[in-house]
Amino acid sequence: MTDRPDLDRYPELKKGWDRREFLKSAAVGTAFMAVGGSLVRIAADDLTKAARAEKRPDGRVRLPPGQRVIENLRAMGGEEGDGDVKTFRLKVHGLVKTPFEVDYAGLLKLPQVERAADVHCVTGWTMLGGMWKGVQVKMLAEKAGIKAEARHVIFEAAHGFTANVPLKEAFADNALITYRLNGKPFQLQHGAPVRGLVPDLYFWKSAKWITGVRFVRDDRPGFWEVRGYHNHADPWKEERYG
Amino acid sequence: MAESAEIAEEAVPSSSPSSPPEPTRSTRPAKSGKPSAPPPPSGFGALVKKRWRAWLRAVHRDVGYIAVGFTVIYALSGIAMNHIEDWDPNFRSSEVQFQITPIPDDASDEDAVARIAAAAGISGKPSDVFRAGDEVRLEYPNGSKVTAIGAAVTVQKRDSRFFFRVANWLHATRGKAAWKYISDAYAVLLLYLAISGLFMIKGKLGLRWRGTILIGVGLGAPLGYIVLSGGPEAQKDPAKVAEGKRGEDGIRLLPPDPADGGKSAPSADDAPQRPRVLKQPPPSEGGERKP
Repeated sequence: MTDRPDLDRYPELKKGWDRREFLKSAAVGTAFMAVGGSLVRIAADDLTKAARAEKRPDGRVRLPPGQRVIENLRAMGGEEGDGDVKTFRLKVHGLVKTPFEVDYAGLLKLPQVERAADVHCVTGWTMLGGMWKGVQVKMLAEKAGIKAEARHVIFEAAHGFTANVPLKEAFADNALITYRLNGKPFQLQHGAPVRGLVPDLYFWKSAKWITGVRFVRDDRPGFWEVRGYHNHADPWKEERYG
Repeated sequence: MAESAEIAEEAVPSSSPSSPPEPTRSTRPAKSGKPSAPPPPSGFGALVKKRWRAWLRAVHRDVGYIAVGFTVIYALSGIAMNHIEDWDPNFRSSEVQFQITPIPDDASDEDAVARIAAAAGISGKPSDVFRAGDEVRLEYPNGSKVTAIGAAVTVQKRDSRFFFRVANWLHATRGKAAWKYISDAYAVLLLYLAISGLFMIKGKLGLRWRGTILIGVGLGAPLGYIVLSGGPEAQKDPAKVAEGKRGEDGIRLLPPDPADGGKSAPSADDAPQRPRVLKQPPPSEGGERKP
C-alpha cells in the first residue's frame, strides 16, 4: 500500500480512494453503459422493424426469428482460399453422368442469372436484398447429367471445408454458384472469387471459396454440421444447433 | 487494509499478546539456558500444516506471472471473436466503386489497364491482369485489387490488424498440433489459479464471507443464463425435440431411395474426395466424429 497517497494531507482524494465508493461507481457506470447502449441499438434498428413487418411471396415473414438486419456482409472468418481467378476451378461431380471441371472464364460463359436474395447468418444478422449473379446449381446438375438417385449436394471449398444441402434447397431458383454481389466482385473474406449461395438456409451453407459441387445419395454432414450446428439449418425454424 | 493484515498474519507467525508467541528466530531460547516454551511439533507434516497457505500464494503468484501473456492473447482475441458479426477482427477492408467509360472487348490488355488506372488514379504497373467475360481484373503489388465490370470499377484493399490476426490465429487451435498442447497447459494453469484462489486468504475475506458470495456470483451467471435461456435443448429444432432424439448426433437421415429398395454401393465418383467429407457413421458411433 505504499502507493496510496497521504489522504489526510489531500482530503479531496479520499473519496476516490474509497474502495466501496469505487465499486459502486463502477457498477453504476457499467449498468448505465449497458442500458444506454441497448437503447441506442434498439432505437436505431428501423431496418429490422421494417423487415419483420414484411412477408415473402411464400407467406413467411421476411426476417426469420432471432435475426437483425445489417446493411453489408460481415466477415465471419474461415480458412481462406487463395482468391485467385486464374487458378479457380469448379469441379462438378459425384452422382452425375458427365462430371466436369470449369475455370473462371468458363463459368462466366455458362448461362447466367441474377437474383435478389436475403441471407441469414446463424450468428443473428441478416442482409436483405443483395443482387447475386452467377449460375444456378440446378443448371450445373443438368449440364452434368445428375443421376436419379442423388439426394443431396455437398459444396466443397478450400482446405477441405464442406457443407451439405438437400437437393430441394440446392435446386431453388436462387441457389447459385455466385461470383458477384451488387455488381461487385467478392472480397477475399467473403469467398472470392466464387462462393455458393443457398439463401433459404443459414449462410454457412453458402460455402465460401468454393471448389466443387458434388451430388450424393446419402447425406454427409459437413464441417460445421459435425461441430454442433444443425444439419438442415432452416432460419425460419431457428435450426441453429444440432 | 484488513486484507493486507490477514495476508501478513498468514505469512508471518502471530505474536499477539493473547496467545503465546510462536517460536521464531527471535524468540528461541538463548543458549544461556533460560526457561522457554515447549518446542513446536516438527517434521514435514507440521511444516506443511503451518506453511501451506503461504506456499499456495507463492505458487499462485508465479503461475499468475506465467499466465499474463497467455491471458492477454486469449482474452483480447476472445472479445474480438465474440463480436465478429460487428467487425472484422483480422483485417481492415476498404472498397471504393466508381464509373468509367466501358472498356471495349477488343481493347488490348495494355489499353484496358491504362484506362482503368487513369480513372482510378493508380500509378505503377499491375502485377497481374486477368480478363474473362465482361471483367478486367488488375492486381497491384500493394495488394489492391481493381475490377472493371462494364462501366463500374471496384477498388478493393485490405490490411491485417497485426496483433488481432496473430492472436486470433493462436486462439483457434485447429490445425496447430504443438500449440494445442501448450494451450492445454495454459488451461491447467488457469484451473490452478482458480482453485488456489479459493484458499489464499482465510477468514471473512476468504471463504467464510466475501469469497463465498463472489463465488456464488461467478457460478450464478452461467447457471442463470442456462436456466433463463432454456439451455442447449431450447436452441434445437422444436419439432425434433418434441419427437425425441432419433440419433445421438441429432442428424436426420433421409429414407433410402424406394426405387432401388435400399442402399446401393456408391460409385467411384461418389467416394469421398476430401479429408473432411465424412461418411455417415454407424449408429453405434453416435455423435463422436473426428474431423
